[in-house]
Amino acid sequence: MFSERELERYRRQTMLFGEDGQERLKKAHIFIAGAGGLGSPVSIYLAVAGVGTITIVDMDVVDQTNLNRQILHYERDIGRKKTASAEEKLREQNPDIIINAVDVKIDESNAKNLVGKADGIVDAMDNFPTRYLLNDVAIAQQIPFFHGGIRGFYGQATTIIPGTTPCLKCIFPKAPPREEFPVVGVTAGIIGTVQSNEVIKYLTGSGDLLTNRLFIWDGMQSHAEEICVERNPSCEACGGTGKKTKAGKKK
Amino acid sequence: MWWHRKEDKSGEEEMTVKIRFFARFRELLGTDIMTDVAAGTMFTSLITSIAKKNPEGYAAIFDKNGAFYEFVILMRNGKRIDIADADRTVIVDGDEIAVFPPVAGG
Repeated sequence: MFSERELERYRRQTMLFGEDGQERLKKAHIFIAGAGGLGSPVSIYLAVAGVGTITIVDMDVVDQTNLNRQILHYERDIGRKKTASAEEKLREQNPDIIINAVDVKIDESNAKNLVGKADGIVDAMDNFPTRYLLNDVAIAQQIPFFHGGIRGFYGQATTIIPGTTPCLKCIFPKAPPREEFPVVGVTAGIIGTVQSNEVIKYLTGSGDLLTNRLFIWDGMQSHAEEICVERNPSCEACGGTGKKTKAGKKK
Repeated sequence: MWWHRKEDKSGEEEMTVKIRFFARFRELLGTDIMTDVAAGTMFTSLITSIAKKNPEGYAAIFDKNGAFYEFVILMRNGKRIDIADADRTVIVDGDEIAVFPPVAGG
């Protein structure tokens, strides 16, 4: 049931997917891995859309160099934990949802427990090793994994449905080297909103998901395109089946 | 079909293929490169010859031994080519080749 305030808040989108769709958003729990460049637009748009429970995880402190893109955090937050900053902003954005902000580094020992019974994982990480861990959890739990990555004016996104689509490791078997990557905030905004859009469609059963396709954004040309992606029968993580393999099995 | 087989003056068959680079590779090497290649050209040698036009572009894709970096994604006509197979994958007339790096930032 919705309060009068909620009905008013969501009126312009229940015109699209009805109160049933809004109810599905309210009952959902989405896990957002990262409160940085991608995590900012993702969490803001999922919060204002009314996703009922949002867990957002980050281990970092807000730094001046974050502020060109990490729109959850303000000048006054420099030196503060990103999770505290995120929780405060998201609660103000929407007081009718639950925000769990967890200040921890996602690693092999805690990834599964952190995700818990979430209905989906949004990849807002800045490195592939942690993405692979979350990909493993998504496969084990058979929940969707909404991938996004950015660099400079370029970005990519895809929606992974274990058992149906290629997993992250089918698409990107090897991690690129870590770097201090150049980026403009708008790239995070574009890819983060594509990811949020996917989550909202998935939860409300609207439209067609970005499955079996890699969305590629070229901000220098203002050109978006997609390429088809396929399962890899010899994938280390899912063996091309979307289910856990022994090699990819977690402890 | 927009492409066609043709013969050069020596009578050897030539083919036209399209190479698409993405993200950083695109900044360094351009994209939608149409090029004529001789029959029997392998995937790796084609990309090597194109990438060598910009040393920085070459260095972004190939290691110092001239092998593809393991994270580079290679595709031909929408199908993945394993790096291990690229040396022995023959380019065919009309192929559309895509070469791109995963972007890792968030």
